[in-house]
Amino acid sequence: MDQPYSGLRIIDLGGELSAYASRLFANLGAEVIMVELPGGRSDRHLPSPSLVPGYGGAEFAFTNAGKQSVTIDWASPKGWIVLEKILKRSEIVFLESDAIELLPKILGVPGGRIITATSHFGLKGPYQAYAGNDLVAQAMGGLAWLSGTPGLPPLKVPAEQTRFITSAYAAAATAIALWDLEMKGQGHVIDVSAQECVAHSLQNAPQVWDLEHKVLSRGGEGIRDATEDVFACRGGYVFLAAALSLPASWNGIVDWMMREGHPGADRLLEADWQDRGLRATAPMKLEFKELFEGFLADKHRSEVLEVALRRKIAMAPVSDISDIPNDPQLLFRDFFVDLPHPAFGRSVRFPGAPYRFSEPVWRITHAAPRIGEHNTQILSASDEAARRAYDAS
Amino acid sequence: MRPDFLAGLRVVDLTWAGAGPFATKVFSDFGAEVIKVESTTRADPVRLGAPFKDGVAGLNRSGYFASRNTRKKSISLNLKIAEAQEAVRELIRHADVISNNFGPGAMDRLGLSYDEVRAIKPDIIYLAMPMYGETGPLSGLLGVGMTISAVTGFTSLTGYSDGPPLGPGTHYPDHAANPYHAAFAVLAALRLRRRTGRGMKIDLSQVESTLNFLGIPLTGAAISGKAATRNGNRSEVHAPYNVFRCRGDDEWCAIAVTSDKQWNDLTSILGRSDLGEDENLKRASGRLHRIDDVESAVASWTLRRTSSEVVTELQRAGIAAGMVQHSRTLIEDDPQLRSRGYWQHLDHPEIGQVTLNSPPYLMDGERVELVRPPLIGEHTDELLANVAGYSAERIQRLRELGAIEDPPVV
Repeated sequence: MDQPYSGLRIIDLGGELSAYASRLFANLGAEVIMVELPGGRSDRHLPSPSLVPGYGGAEFAFTNAGKQSVTIDWASPKGWIVLEKILKRSEIVFLESDAIELLPKILGVPGGRIITATSHFGLKGPYQAYAGNDLVAQAMGGLAWLSGTPGLPPLKVPAEQTRFITSAYAAAATAIALWDLEMKGQGHVIDVSAQECVAHSLQNAPQVWDLEHKVLSRGGEGIRDATEDVFACRGGYVFLAAALSLPASWNGIVDWMMREGHPGADRLLEADWQDRGLRATAPMKLEFKELFEGFLADKHRSEVLEVALRRKIAMAPVSDISDIPNDPQLLFRDFFVDLPHPAFGRSVRFPGAPYRFSEPVWRITHAAPRIGEHNTQILSASDEAARRAYDAS
Repeated sequence: MRPDFLAGLRVVDLTWAGAGPFATKVFSDFGAEVIKVESTTRADPVRLGAPFKDGVAGLNRSGYFASRNTRKKSISLNLKIAEAQEAVRELIRHADVISNNFGPGAMDRLGLSYDEVRAIKPDIIYLAMPMYGETGPLSGLLGVGMTISAVTGFTSLTGYSDGPPLGPGTHYPDHAANPYHAAFAVLAALRLRRRTGRGMKIDLSQVESTLNFLGIPLTGAAISGKAATRNGNRSEVHAPYNVFRCRGDDEWCAIAVTSDKQWNDLTSILGRSDLGEDENLKRASGRLHRIDDVESAVASWTLRRTSSEVVTELQRAGIAAGMVQHSRTLIEDDPQLRSRGYWQHLDHPEIGQVTLNSPPYLMDGERVELVRPPLIGEHTDELLANVAGYSAERIQRLRELGAIEDPPVV
């Protein structure tokens, strides 16, 4: 089966910020070749409880599945010759960290291509040389500010989101630039800033400052409806959204409480609960929390889910990571992929495709490679000799 | 630059609210003609979502809407009327992509199921973005972005280690995972169509898409058998790695020490050679074991400095540190964003000047120049005439039938 990016070659000199971007291309048919220095690229060495030398840990396994790996010391003259040879046959190059130094040389390689450089703050500007990582990018990009409890520290969004946000933007921008290259023959250089990507993911916070001169606070005081929150129930927590803009949800909650004879229903029918502004204030949030958690105290979250479905209330269980593999919807849709993984000596259960096409064009062909796994396969005999000569020197 | 990379492509866009319009904005910003099919009587909720110019609500006054719908065109129709549905089908006949983010069954009720659309335009790319997918026992579950956070684990993992789950403070999946996965999928389908002539349907379950942004803890749990739990801002493997209070009102900074050398340098900056010489703290594992001691030493130092002073000093030593910024500091103070021309100020007929984020990259060293979003129904007649090929008489007839919903005269 022809895949969307079949026949496309990507040279991946990236790292943690772009690893997921090039993986998106790999799973749709592109040949993605990670070119690593002999010690392995930086994201192989990220400390992780699951780290396997030569392979990397869970992070590397997830973000590099379906790619190939060759080792070339591209900083040496001979290594550059080898790299240049495979670059000539490429349409896309991802650059990150030290490999960004290669940009001027790659621009001199014949043939049009897309060069996507990812960095924490961009390739120019006063913070260009600042050290960055996920926590710092979420802080400097404004995302951490928006989560947490007033009076306590702002909170990052978990699980290294800077890498995913940056990769998602980098992948979309690269695909658009590739369209232009293939339609008009025009190559492009894309300078992706992780800080800017994070700052692009702040919902309406910049516009609230721009038009109303208010800084949104964590906790959503004055913005989030009293119902838009996490509530304790038996067996865990549920999340509810029943603002007045979701009338089926709000009416469903009130009706559910009435039918069960809960006294809180009468209170929710009073006039102040029809006032959108009041509903976003701290006292009404607190009142609703106490009232609704009292109502839910004897209800298990599985029962709450069943009611949500039946009554069309926007309400769902708060799942832990350990719940996800047993999610009935995901199991029904056969979401997960069991990928044989030599690093771990068995199959590893991966999240499946982020999107489903009506033709089977998405697939993970193989696990993230060990360092240099595809040297022989990809580098021609002469290139291999050049590489060995260098390695021996 | 005002790019025309995608010129010649046409999207009939029925998405609304957050994630869908953010996905199709990627296309309009690069020159595709994105036709936003709207209704004045059942408007995109984000048109009615704050903030508004001067705090006064109005269909064309939302800054939130402006930020998600640049360079699009708007046609305003009442899709309950058959002639309006026929007009949409006529637009689809001349389109490359049709997009929606309704729940399962809604497009069927409009006569716009994949099979029906394919009968009109056999090579169409059909993007559907329901919350939990189109099939399965929970496909009928309703929700918003925060609901997606709840069922995927984002809510559970966001919170202080000794407190309840809090979740991201925004509808986070709407602003990152889902729009850009959707845009990427459509671009891939278009490329395949260019080579094969075949269209495709894309079923993007927003839950499945979001779970890929949690690939690290999910894969980690599959490998180790140990599921991650919420841990504030701390790291499992680095220390100190946290957000610390600084001098001033609600001022904070992030500090992330990721090597033992950085720790040694940090103790010099803190003036705490006792900690630097402590053998038990020379490795991250030892610092994690005594995390409270380590963090309190950092916190007592940051508390006497502004976040900017902290960051300047630590960055000079090569230690990753950053101010915890918010919308005001990002727009008004941040020298990096200013020097890169990140914020664009557009003129809008009803809002006046509106400040919007640029796409978060420079393309060939230049910003992608934004074009203001459409007023509701601004392009109704133009699109019916030029794309659907309707005569003036036919457009008038649609108006008489109520199939066209002209915006209320203010």
